[in-house]
Amino acid sequence: MSTMDASAVELAPARRGSARKAVHALLVLAAAVLVAGAVTTDGFLTVDNARAILASMGLVGIVAIGMTAIVLVGSLFSLSLGVTVAVTAMAFLFALRWGAPVAIVLSVALGALLCAVQGSIVGALGANPIIVTIAAGALLKGLATLLSGGTSVYPPADAGFHALKDTVLGLPVAIYALVAVAIVVELTLRRTRFGQELLLVGENPHAARTAALPVAWVTTGAFAVAGACCGLAGVFAGALNGSATLQLSGTYTYDAIAAVLVGGTAITGGRGSALRTVGGALVIATLSDLLLLRGYSTGVQIAVKGAIVLLVILTLHLRESARA
Amino acid sequence: MTRAMRLTPLLFLCAMTVVFVVVPSSKGYSLDSYSVYSAVQTFAAFGLITLALGLLMIAGEFDLSLVATYGLSGIVAVELGHSHPLLGLAAAVGVAMVAGAVQGLIVARLGINSMSVTLGGYLVLLGVGTAVAHARAVPYPDPNVGIRLDQPILDVLSWRSLITIALFVVAALVLRFTRLGRDVRAVGGSRRASRVAGVRVDRMIVGVFVAGGALTALGGALQAYSLSTATADPGLEPLIFAATAGLLGGVSLAGGSGGAAGIAAGALALSLLQTTFGLIASPDWVASVVTGSLLAVAAVVSAPGLRTWWRGVRSRRPSDAREAA
Repeated sequence: MSTMDASAVELAPARRGSARKAVHALLVLAAAVLVAGAVTTDGFLTVDNARAILASMGLVGIVAIGMTAIVLVGSLFSLSLGVTVAVTAMAFLFALRWGAPVAIVLSVALGALLCAVQGSIVGALGANPIIVTIAAGALLKGLATLLSGGTSVYPPADAGFHALKDTVLGLPVAIYALVAVAIVVELTLRRTRFGQELLLVGENPHAARTAALPVAWVTTGAFAVAGACCGLAGVFAGALNGSATLQLSGTYTYDAIAAVLVGGTAITGGRGSALRTVGGALVIATLSDLLLLRGYSTGVQIAVKGAIVLLVILTLHLRESARA
Repeated sequence: MTRAMRLTPLLFLCAMTVVFVVVPSSKGYSLDSYSVYSAVQTFAAFGLITLALGLLMIAGEFDLSLVATYGLSGIVAVELGHSHPLLGLAAAVGVAMVAGAVQGLIVARLGINSMSVTLGGYLVLLGVGTAVAHARAVPYPDPNVGIRLDQPILDVLSWRSLITIALFVVAALVLRFTRLGRDVRAVGGSRRASRVAGVRVDRMIVGVFVAGGALTALGGALQAYSLSTATADPGLEPLIFAATAGLLGGVSLAGGSGGAAGIAAGALALSLLQTTFGLIASPDWVASVVTGSLLAVAAVVSAPGLRTWWRGVRSRRPSDAREAA
């Protein structure tokens, strides 16, 4: 995209300074509003509410870690992760007839495959990831409606998946899954060859290509990681909901993007981590909870998330250009 | 641009015309002037957002927030147009121009990728629209406005489609014959070169974002009046329509290429296709699969890697290369 052109306007140092001050002032203000809101909202500072926040961030967190892999490899975002969660949830409930372990593996593999196909188009041809994932989302929606006949998918009556809905030490199993996924993805990024290549491709695709790194494969792999995360989230979404339709897509896609950005992973790729994303998901979940407790509508919640995304993009950009 | 690429919009339009004529009659449905009117109405509904996105893509940008603008402007028009529909229209266009200006300024002055900026903008506008509408469909009290807008003129046209066509003509003239049009294409082609050549790049970028917002808002507001209702979240369908029509209409994501005539051909072709689905009463999933596939094809065809590969293939076959020359 030509906006990424190196010739983009460089702000004069003085103006850049004042812009940075303005953004920092906004950040401090946002933090102050958050703290003030937390203190003055009835029922916010309670153990039960803390538990509710953690419970609500489980699935979004897992999807957001998947989104992190796509952002890190330099493919901006995927706009099809929410649909992937819904589709894998449907697949999971359907596959429960062969037993829970098989269903879980199938769901995760299906998610990985669906996203890997998109990643290979992006990686091998340099196609625009946003356009490819929007297209894939529409395609998946159509196919899922065709295969499900447009009705809810229900698990077989005797399916044994109730362990997925349990709580351990007062927290849902999904939270423990989130922690496990975060650790696995973080270790993969830091300690494996694939992870290092992923970060390099995101940092500088031209250099990576010159260094004969398999850019197409690495991009495909990053999307596969995202898809596997969606598949796992789909397993929990299906289990918790007890039935699955495309409605399960919900706001996963945008919440995940917001979590990744708020965590401080650079939108330009290469820099960031899965653990940062967990932090971002926690902030988003806390904020949503606060807005909900204060009785704000879904519309306000969406708008606030959008404002945060813009604010974080601006902050990261200004910090970046100050460093350069 | 190769000749084949210039012909793509026309070929696409011809193919869809054939589909529009052949498919319904093969299934025993008859085709009359009302079918054509329906197709032109679909063109009126999505033509302006397609033109908006096309202009942005010609300038080398993209605006995901347009689809939220489309919904929000309907809400604004319906809420503020009680005393007079033009008032609502003006308010909707005004709000969209402000949203476009803010995002355009961020993109132009800071050089941040427009996909990420406009994603934030999308969420803000979608949220504001949903909050204002209380997440419900908002009715417009005077159905006569919509009836008058959609009254058939010469059997197949309506005021709404005439407005859309007129704006396409204006855009085509500006792009082809004015300095402004040349500058927009130059900015999309090579930002550095146009800056050196004295084009006010920042102003151009902010300008296309503002114009894109205004066009989209007009389309969204007219659509809301036409239906006598507005919903804040139109889904991603208008954006999918716009991106597919733009890309198959000869506009590239890299910027610099394409024109209003191609965008119009792309939008009209997709309108014919969508109307065909309606005529033969095909289930929703068919439209979803077909439009998704078309956009995927457009994304692949417009991918830079494919062109590099194709050039490589051709240079290995000297006879083809000679032919192309």
